[in-house]
Amino acid sequence: MNELTTVEKVTITLRVNGEERAVSVEPRWLLSDVLRHELGLVGTHVSCEQGVCGSCTVLMDGQPTRSCLQFAIQAAGSDIVTIEGVTHGEGLTPLQRAFAEHHALQCGFCTPGMVLTAQALLDKDPNPDEESIREALSGNICRCTGYQSIVDAVMAAARTTQSRVEED
Amino acid sequence: MSRLLTKPRFTGARVTRMEDDRLLKGQGRYLDDITVPGMLEIAFVRSNRSAAKLVEVDVEAARNLPGVIAVLTAEDCPYVLHDEKYQVDQSVLAKDEVRFVGEPIVAIVAENRYIAEDATELVRVQYDALPPVLTAKDALGDTRRVHSQRPNVFEHWEQVTDGFEDAFNAAPHRAQATFVTHRQTGVPMETRGCAAMVDPASGRLTVYVSHQSVHQFRTDLIKVMNLDEHQVRVVVPEVGGAFGIKAMFYTEYIVVTHAAKTLGRPVKWIGDRTESLLADCHARDNIHEVEVAFDDDGVICAVRDNVIGDTGAYPILGFPGAVGEAGWATGHLTGPYKIPHVSITVDCVFSNKTPVGAYRGVGGPVGAQVQEGYIDLVARKLGKDPIEVRRVNLIQKDQFPFVSATGNTYDPGSYAESMEEALRLIGYDTFRDEQVEARKQGRYLGIGVCVFVEPSAGVSSEAGSIPYEAVTLRLEPSGKITASTGLGPSGQGHETTLAQLIADELSVDVGDIVVLHGDTDSAPFGGGTGGSRSATIGGGAALKAAREMRGKLAKIAAHLLEASEEDIEFQDGQAHVAGVPSRGHSIAQLARIAYTDVSKLPDDMQPGLEVVSRYRPPMSVTYSNGTHAVKVEVDVQTGLVKILDYVAVNDCGVLINPMIVEGQIHGGVAQGIGSTFLEELRYDDAGQLTTTSLAEYLLPAMTDVPRMRIEHLVTPSGNDGGFKGMGEGSLIAGPPSLCSAVSNALEPFGVFVTEIPILPQHIIAWTKDKVAVEA
Repeated sequence: MNELTTVEKVTITLRVNGEERAVSVEPRWLLSDVLRHELGLVGTHVSCEQGVCGSCTVLMDGQPTRSCLQFAIQAAGSDIVTIEGVTHGEGLTPLQRAFAEHHALQCGFCTPGMVLTAQALLDKDPNPDEESIREALSGNICRCTGYQSIVDAVMAAARTTQSRVEED
Repeated sequence: MSRLLTKPRFTGARVTRMEDDRLLKGQGRYLDDITVPGMLEIAFVRSNRSAAKLVEVDVEAARNLPGVIAVLTAEDCPYVLHDEKYQVDQSVLAKDEVRFVGEPIVAIVAENRYIAEDATELVRVQYDALPPVLTAKDALGDTRRVHSQRPNVFEHWEQVTDGFEDAFNAAPHRAQATFVTHRQTGVPMETRGCAAMVDPASGRLTVYVSHQSVHQFRTDLIKVMNLDEHQVRVVVPEVGGAFGIKAMFYTEYIVVTHAAKTLGRPVKWIGDRTESLLADCHARDNIHEVEVAFDDDGVICAVRDNVIGDTGAYPILGFPGAVGEAGWATGHLTGPYKIPHVSITVDCVFSNKTPVGAYRGVGGPVGAQVQEGYIDLVARKLGKDPIEVRRVNLIQKDQFPFVSATGNTYDPGSYAESMEEALRLIGYDTFRDEQVEARKQGRYLGIGVCVFVEPSAGVSSEAGSIPYEAVTLRLEPSGKITASTGLGPSGQGHETTLAQLIADELSVDVGDIVVLHGDTDSAPFGGGTGGSRSATIGGGAALKAAREMRGKLAKIAAHLLEASEEDIEFQDGQAHVAGVPSRGHSIAQLARIAYTDVSKLPDDMQPGLEVVSRYRPPMSVTYSNGTHAVKVEVDVQTGLVKILDYVAVNDCGVLINPMIVEGQIHGGVAQGIGSTFLEELRYDDAGQLTTTSLAEYLLPAMTDVPRMRIEHLVTPSGNDGGFKGMGEGSLIAGPPSLCSAVSNALEPFGVFVTEIPILPQHIIAWTKDKVAVEA
């Protein structure tokens, strides 16, 4: 018979969407669960918990990271950006607007992960070609859109950002 | 009352969705985002045997784990789904016997999911193994009965047209093939879930569920649990994909509701991905043995189809999938072709596998694969071009309405036209030369086509058998509009499309309308979403409600303007006398009067502006159609198939929002690519599902789905608005066109594809090891 013992919680500090957050966690708690249930950031969605689908993607120190494959304590001291953090006040970013304009979402469940992964790509490469976009987002499963519209949205966002840079 | 005189501003336009803002910000609230103080969570102990007697279920250790609030077994939760028609009982938690891997046996209610899962590890289940029934042959032969009190064959039907045998025997040619579709499932990104609580203020029971139909769900729940429907509120928050699997009713929902009622605390269950693959309804799992009779020109005179549909362990509440899949597949066996004779025999059987239910298209993808398969087979046997065989068999425009050999009346469509257009788009004329050249270089190109018909908005669909839909419309005192529908959207953009229809009828801005759904307390009773019924039936209801509202507004305006109602026109948010835009009142002014300045209303008019409108379409079904054409290259070294070009010509009648229609096509084709090349739920010889993660059940990713080109044809339906449903056509047409293309590419090897999914190892076996799949 298994003897299960109560696990001591530890307090860690995460920098989430620009704010220092102290949170008391069990060492086995997933980062996705802590973001969602302890910090109330439910825009991070959990779909497979197996590291395959990319729905739970957040940016950890700028890198797209599957929050279902990280224990929260592993993220202690890291800088984390969730969909709530990437959204500008009441408005949408050029990338988010491009998603709406190109019908790059249907049920919206994979969308936060898609937006964050695409944002990380654009931050690194402001003018990616279609193949790089598909490669960069190939770890994010969408069951509704068939992807073409997402690729188009990311390309359009890149163009918008580029033309703004040129205007400046 | 005046009719629309101006061109619609929103209907037919690419209006961006009202849903998107919240979803893009991560502000959409899905089931797992529902949390209330004191909420408990459930984890299930599920059977790890496909067939066994339950000797002992020891939950003592689990009960004693700190943080565990309750442990439920069949004795503690004694509800049974009783299927009257098939005489099968399914205990919501397994009692005495388990019949598939994944069947819930014990529910653990705990302070949180971590503790609940810990406790599942402490439950000891002692099984006494029974020989599982896993193959169609075993099921048909009754080697053992899945339900001891009845034979495994639970549904059998035959349909033979008069003169079939004579026609079949008299034909100069005959050919046969066996088409097989393996088990697949919908895999919405959001898993299934349910939360229940007694509302502390009203004492009513509130059940949150990720589902396609609030009212169907409530009806099923109260029936099984013997509750009063006015004491139960069902709320469906944002749904993260459904695809049919969330139209079914599952046993877990009763366990969650029962736990919340008995414990007096809120309880939630969210399935994890492994549970989803084990216990969400599966789909397909059909065998079609087909024989076809034809003449020298490829004109087909008769088709015989013997079908075995495996429905798994129980007839899932909703409909047993095997019946639905075989029903649609054989009901539309002749597809878009004018074949006069059919002979159909169907056997639906139980087995020790997960219950089969709805997945987008239901039998459509299977039926289209059979239909396009026998057309390609005829071409192969005669050495003819497959397109020529389609041309001589297709229903022509002047033949509508067309009554098929299976007894369906097709309303007008553009079957032959859509094919010619798809061939033009994909460059069929030059392809055959290209193919010959490529073959000389050892490259195997192929082209495949599927001409499809999609029966849509059938009165009986996976959203229940409610042949109508309702919309309520409330013009608020400010002039803004609150609409409510019984539909159950899961990403199809109903908030936008219904608003587009209403906005045009009332000449207001689409942004002035909010469309509510997913709450039995506000949504009018309706069927929900399934069977591609939302635009056709729900859209019709929106039009009808808006027209009724328009009538009320016209009446008030006529009274105020001392004009006749017939002379009132609506334009730019204003009701005015025809031809005199200066003599008018804004909709907002009329609304204010209706609520707060009621002495100005006509004497026979009630204050307020609210309508409830129910729409029953004149036709019990309307048929969308179209053609998908695809060009592939098969790499016989790696067994991989590359899609070189994909075109879809779609005719769904009047388009409300082309952007949304195209999104449905893109998504359906992607699922079709998954169905054809990746997705298979595999069982081992003991009935263990071996594909229990997304690393094993493979879904198409961004690198697997190519760009596609779409063109629209418009043949309006006879229903209000002229809409036809189209949510399923692209998954119906995708797999057959891809199969056809692979067959075509591998013709030099004598390969003829009859099974999906087509995996790389199959292609290598067929081409390298010469394991020929010859028809």
